[in-house]
Amino acid sequence: MTNLSLDAFTADLERLRAEAEQTLADVADEATLEQARIEFLGAKSGRLKLAQKGLGQVAGSDKPAAGRQFNAVKSAVEALFQQAKDRAATGPANVSAETVDVTLPGTPVRFGRLHPLTQTIRRVASIMGHLGFEVVDGPEVEDQWHNFEALAIPAEHPARDPLDNFYISVANSAEPFLLRSQTSTVQIRVMEQRQPPLRIVSLGRVYRPDTADATHYPMFHQVEGLLVEPGTTMAHLKSVLRAFASNFLGGDVHVRFRPSFFPFTEPSVEVDMEWNGRWIEMGGAGMVDPAVLEAVGYDPDEVSGFAFGLGVERIAARRFGVADIRDFYRNDVRFLEQFSDRGQA
Amino acid sequence: MIVSLDWLADYVDVPPVEQMTERLLLAGLNHEATETVGSDTAVDLEVTSNRPDCLGHLGVAREVAVLFERPLRIPPIELPKPRKAAAVSVTIEAGDICPYYSARIIRGVTVGPSPDWLVSRLATVGIASVNNIVDITNYVMLECGQPLHAFDLGQLAGGQIIVRRARPGEPFEAINHKRYELTDQMAVIADCDRPVALAGVMGGAETEISLATTDVLVESAQFAPLPVRAAARGLTLSSPSSYRFERGPDPAAVEWASQRATALILELAGGVLEEPVAEAGKLACQPAEIVLRADRVEAVLGVPVPAQRQQEILQSLGFVQQAATAEESRWLAPTWRRDCWRAIDLVEEVARIEGYERVPENVPIAARPIARSSRERLVRMVAEVCVAAGFCEAMTRSVVAEPLEAFGSPWGDAEPLVCRPPLVRGADRLRRTLLPSLLEARVASLAAAASHADLFEIARAYLRRTNDSQPAASPLEEPLLLTLVTTGDFFRAKGLAAVVLARLGLEELAVSAEGIVSGDLTGVSYRPVQSQLLATGRAAEIMLHRPGETPRRLGVVGEVSPQLCKQVGCDEKTAAFELRLDSLEFVADYEPVLTAPSSFPSIDRDINLVVDEAVSWGAIVSAVESTGCHELDQIRLGQIWRDAERLGVGKKSVVVSLRLRSHQETLSAEQANDLVAEMVEACRRHVGATLRA
Repeated sequence: MTNLSLDAFTADLERLRAEAEQTLADVADEATLEQARIEFLGAKSGRLKLAQKGLGQVAGSDKPAAGRQFNAVKSAVEALFQQAKDRAATGPANVSAETVDVTLPGTPVRFGRLHPLTQTIRRVASIMGHLGFEVVDGPEVEDQWHNFEALAIPAEHPARDPLDNFYISVANSAEPFLLRSQTSTVQIRVMEQRQPPLRIVSLGRVYRPDTADATHYPMFHQVEGLLVEPGTTMAHLKSVLRAFASNFLGGDVHVRFRPSFFPFTEPSVEVDMEWNGRWIEMGGAGMVDPAVLEAVGYDPDEVSGFAFGLGVERIAARRFGVADIRDFYRNDVRFLEQFSDRGQA
Repeated sequence: MIVSLDWLADYVDVPPVEQMTERLLLAGLNHEATETVGSDTAVDLEVTSNRPDCLGHLGVAREVAVLFERPLRIPPIELPKPRKAAAVSVTIEAGDICPYYSARIIRGVTVGPSPDWLVSRLATVGIASVNNIVDITNYVMLECGQPLHAFDLGQLAGGQIIVRRARPGEPFEAINHKRYELTDQMAVIADCDRPVALAGVMGGAETEISLATTDVLVESAQFAPLPVRAAARGLTLSSPSSYRFERGPDPAAVEWASQRATALILELAGGVLEEPVAEAGKLACQPAEIVLRADRVEAVLGVPVPAQRQQEILQSLGFVQQAATAEESRWLAPTWRRDCWRAIDLVEEVARIEGYERVPENVPIAARPIARSSRERLVRMVAEVCVAAGFCEAMTRSVVAEPLEAFGSPWGDAEPLVCRPPLVRGADRLRRTLLPSLLEARVASLAAAASHADLFEIARAYLRRTNDSQPAASPLEEPLLLTLVTTGDFFRAKGLAAVVLARLGLEELAVSAEGIVSGDLTGVSYRPVQSQLLATGRAAEIMLHRPGETPRRLGVVGEVSPQLCKQVGCDEKTAAFELRLDSLEFVADYEPVLTAPSSFPSIDRDINLVVDEAVSWGAIVSAVESTGCHELDQIRLGQIWRDAERLGVGKKSVVVSLRLRSHQETLSAEQANDLVAEMVEACRRHVGATLRA
């Protein structure tokens, strides 16, 4: 059985290829895929197999060319088959026991969240850390020296009024302690223990008898920074706060000072930062009052310093769009779960 | 302080209002609001407590005059020659409360309505007109900041004034027609019978100016801030007068205000002024000299201000230069600026008038590398585990109500600290454990139908120190706690505690039947604990073991007691743990050292031991470990089952899964058999175990 012309062989191959293309393009599921496999790639009587047999009838001189053509078509059909197979495995029309509805929910793995105030504190501490400020810690139940006297708040000062503080009587102590009303207490404690140069941030809970409302809570968080180094000026204060604000808000943020009054700083200022074209209050700041430096045994002629304080709730409320700061203490998981750390901690 | 622009214009040429408020804002008077009142404009300015001079229109005008470099016009006062008369008697019995008191007498006045200009200026600043005499005292107070009071002289019994402390419980009816009970912390102005005014706060109803009044006594005095505040706060009776006396008005304004009010009364209500002025005490007002070094301003601000400019600013503010050299200048502060008494105060004055916008915002800050403290790193490590385990961080109040505190604390029996006033209503106990408040948060979340209420908190507890080993130290301590609440049983909570501790490198050490932890290792052990917070028989204390130290309590773990659940209204099965992080700061400094994993295959063997019910898993582990076998790679609990028929009453079967592996060689089956036999024998010896075939 010889005498199949090369042209006829080629025509047969091209027909095979065209039909394979057509058939495999129509494959929609495993079943039709299998039919197509048997028809074209079947080991016994698949059409490629038959075509291979036809190769033997081509005249000897044409055999190499015919062989090349056959191999090219075989590769093409196999590739088409593979494509069809892949399609059948993932195709939307192919829902069966083995395939999955990939839109079904995955096995849930729950992750928690840090409290939004913690996230805010960490962010502030992180930025200040890059500026060389180290986080320090101190007691929340304080004596009056650290909460008042050392901070230039004398006995007759209104800030010491019993109605404005949470006083705590401790049996073996002459004068009552109190829940600290500011984190500046920690600055005093650190300055008493260490010598300049000093860059610290004290942060944590503070307590003032405010009636709870959307912007007040009797317990809240403060972050206070302190830098004491020879030759420190308000220009350093402004530059540090500008670096902080720029990093916290993003972009090149300007800060401005408005004169204010705090017992433990002189001059004292309110700090505003420019945000979306408006000045918003950032916190209080000032140069450490010489009386405070003296109270901790520093020489105000040798060193100077600045201090600033930020209200964490206020920053967090603005950052996260929280209208009522009491929400921070309601601990409703539906609230807490909304605050995913952006990796800025 | 609300300022009437119409009024302010008497003393200074007022700039356009927005320019003015912007400049004042940057010089220390915060702009709160601007409002049109009739044909006038009211500007509300926030005045800090150190600036009582700005609690009058004159003081604000002075700031405007300085900032805009315009002249200040202080109204001149011309009093007619008074008529000589017998002096009213003024006695100060409480000199600490009232250093100085003066009274001017005007007889034959006609009390009636005030003229329109006066009514309208008071209306702008929010004060209703009463009558011409009362309006004048208010007007002068709002002009110069010195509060005044006018008495109906005819109603003063004995025609005399006594300044004294109130008697405890003494009754007083103020001009608001409310009755008050006074204490001896407060001072009163009294006639010979009764209090007629609460010193510095408010006049009395019985001696107030009425349409029938003909003779008037005008009080202008100095009152100490503290008793005025005690009265105003104690009676919840603040007034514009008490507000100013709490901050200390200008001593020089005492006499000025008296004369000014007298002149206005004579002008608007007629009458005849008498002399002498009745007075007692002495005005406290002697400013000290302040030395300002020429280089000080730049040293504080970081930007130079020429000496000439510094002097201009201070002089325009009313400071009087006593002397000046190239190095320094000497100044007397004006009487109305008692907040300025040091060089640094003068620097602030120069700065706020010159403007803080001149302070540069881009000076270099030298780099200083820092490291996080052990505590900070520890807190981050444990918080990270809790978050990864699916827990949300809560923040609950540091102060709780008595019924919650009554459940006690794992951290000592000393009484809780109590704060006054309570933090919020009913909550006055500083907590000694976070568990009850965290449970409350859990209940609130569950009630709000949150998807879960697995919470943790890292916060302090507040304890009295009980041992006096360090008498010099603070009588209080504030352990930092990590507390966690979750749905589930003891094992859920223990598993969570274990993973937190594992993050810190602290693994569980086995406790022998005799309660001994063998070896000089760092780790934790668990033993049963009784606590009102946790369910009986379903709770443990976590002990911390360190080489060379007595084991101490590191935490508690278990199911929350039914009583506590009931107290907070928690009806879901809840387990919890609480750890003292302050005991663990040392772990943050650990550097792990590699133990190379063995490259030889392991052999697993299960042994099925029958032991008495009372034998703990820990005792079995301890017995196995007592062999000191180096090839013991892992020991795990297979299963525990009980069957009285097959095992006997009071017995249990414990399947122990052992993994053996050598670091030197591949173990043969025979070697493994020998090692296991040794372990079985150790279990027999230590816990009476028999091997079940």
